[in-house]
Parts: sequence; structure tokens; C-alpha cells
Amino acid sequence: MPELDDELMQRFQKGDESAFNLLVRRHQKPLINFIARYTGDKDNAEDLAQETFIRMFRAANRYKPGRAQFKTWMYFIAKNLCKNEIRNRGRRERYHVNNVVSNDNAIDGNAEEIDLIVSAPADAAFQPEVALERKELRNTIQKAISELPDQYRLPLVLRDIQGLSYDEIGNILELRSGTTKSRINRARLMLKDKLKSYMEQI
Amino acid sequence: MNCLQVEEYFSAHYEDTLDYQTLKRFESHIDECASCDQEYSLFCESIQASQELPQIEPSPAFNSILQQRLADEEREKPSLWQRVQSSFVLPRWAYGLAFLLVLASSASFLYFDDLFNGNTQSEINGEFISTQSPDSLTQYPSEINHRFLPRSFGGAGSSFTTSSRPMQQNYVLKHVSYTTSSTAGGL
Repeated sequence: MPELDDELMQRFQKGDESAFNLLVRRHQKPLINFIARYTGDKDNAEDLAQETFIRMFRAANRYKPGRAQFKTWMYFIAKNLCKNEIRNRGRRERYHVNNVVSNDNAIDGNAEEIDLIVSAPADAAFQPEVALERKELRNTIQKAISELPDQYRLPLVLRDIQGLSYDEIGNILELRSGTTKSRINRARLMLKDKLKSYMEQI
Repeated sequence: MNCLQVEEYFSAHYEDTLDYQTLKRFESHIDECASCDQEYSLFCESIQASQELPQIEPSPAFNSILQQRLADEEREKPSLWQRVQSSFVLPRWAYGLAFLLVLASSASFLYFDDLFNGNTQSEINGEFISTQSPDSLTQYPSEINHRFLPRSFGGAGSSFTTSSRPMQQNYVLKHVSYTTSSTAGGL
């Protein structure tokens, strides 16, 4: 049975650095995915994920097992870093996200900064037009998520892409349970409205 | 339940967390309202589509870069002596404040030093010392109600009382410097 995050953190607090490496390996993929979906930038996602782990490494002595879950703590730090990044990016280039996730560029394969749409797995029944359609759908979804206001995008990504519980999301976003639920419902309704025209075409 | 209310329960129905009564009302509305039925179907499809977004794999260099950065962090971690030293490092404004405090205390010391030297009446070893001439000293009139004077000046309950006779006249003109060395810390 794998060790719990808290147990690994306690080992790390006692000086066992391999415990922290285990935590990194365990959580790096979901963390990178969260950051990439939330910020809409895969390349920067890895940098921000590393920065998150480094901040946790620095603050490890302040972590109190049982008071907060390791995962909640990790997403809390990542969320703040992402918000700063989005704010800075907004200053640098106000319409960066719209330009990056441009449908035309993605279909033409020219989108360099964001490549969140991985190719469909190769199989016997692989059809280029189906793959293109899937790619377009995923691109449209990512664009729709990126266009959501921050206060709705964040809970939506945490819930529907990261699969966190309402309680965990409430802890990360410092929201009450009722507010968390209503924000997620509202975010899903907004996403549905954004995807409506595309979905009806299919 | 109307269309707006039904919309509020989309997520709860999708996640199967509605209580039985609400579930019944929700489903009866969906059965009757084609528009809500369609909206709910789109709602579910959009959630599923977002959940099916592919997972991004970390690049092969992710771990090695992170390990390098963590090793740098460990190397740059300050030693105990550096932490002690850094605890004494003050911001620039603190130095400015300290300088102003020193300046203010020096100025106040000089000011009060002049004040005391110019008009001093105190008792050292039971001896009255004054830099003023005896004639100019003010004596308490006999009608002063001593109850209103502090104890040290002969108020009610004090062992020292003024009387109508003139105060002791053995005033000595001498310079008094209120420093620790000259008063032997007596002040």
C-alpha cells in the first residue's frame, strides 16, 4: 500500500529528501495538467509546476499534516502562481489567450505556444477527418474554458478536469460549500453556452 | 419548478446528489419542457467533453530540471550563522529611525540640561542647592493648604512640612551637572 502524502511529508520534514521526490513524481502530472488547463499554456505550465514544488520545498517545515491535505496545499500554491502569471501575461499582452488558442492556427498546426491537443491515438480505424474533428472539438473546449471568467474557470478546471471534491475545491479557493457548488454549476452553464453552437453543428 | 430553477439543479442532477423530492420535480419538468431537456443534454455533453480532454505528459526533462533547482535551493540554504546574521539585518528605514531617535534624545538632553542648570532647586544629602539668589526664592505662604501639595512637598501626611518661618537659607551657589558621575546616580 503506497504511503500517504502526509506520511511522506513527515518523512521529508525529518530530512528524508527521497520522500519529497516521491511526492513530486506522484503529483507532477495532475499539477501540470491543472496549470496548463487553467492558464492555457503548456510550456509555462511546467515552469509553474516546478515553481510550485520549489515553494513547497522551501515551506515544508511550516506544513502541518492533518491541518490541510498535501494536495489542497499544492493546488493552493499553484493557483496563486497561476493568477500572478495570468495577471502578468495580461499586462504583457492583453489578448494573448485568444491569439494563442486561435482555431485557425490550431487546425493549421501553427499554434506553437499551446499544444494541449494531443493527437488521437493511432488505431486500425484511424481516420484523418475524425482525428481532425476531435482535435477541433478539444481545441474549442480549451478555448471556451480559457474564455471563462477566472472565478468560474478555476473551480471548473479543479472539478471537471482534476476531479477534486467540492470540499477540496472549497479549501483551495477559500469558498464556502454552497458558493463552491453554485460557482461550478454556473461555470458549467457558461461552458455549455459557449460550446452550444459548436455542439449543435456536430 | 420553472426553467430557471431547473437550471440551478443541473449539476446536482448530473452528479446524482438531488434528494428524492427535488429529483421528482426536476425530472417531471425535464419531461415536459423540451427546451430544458435539450439544454440539459448539452450541459452533460459539455462536461463529458471537458473531462475527456487528454492528459498532458510532463516532458522528460521535467524531473531532472526540478532536481537541479531543488539541489540549488539546498545549496543556497543559509547556514545557522547566516540566519543569525540575517536576523540582525534591519531595513533602511529602521536605521533612519534610529538616527532620528538618537538625534531627538540628544536634543532633549541638551534642552533639559540647560533648563535644570538655569533654575535648579533640589536636595542632595539633605542640603538645599540653588543657583538662584536666596532673595528671589519663593516661599510658600503660610495659608497654603498643604493637603493640596504632593507628599514630597509637604502635603497632607508628609513628614516634611513648611512653616511660616523662612525656608532654610543655606543655599550654595554652585554648578550642578546632572550627570551620573557628578550626582553619583543620586538623581
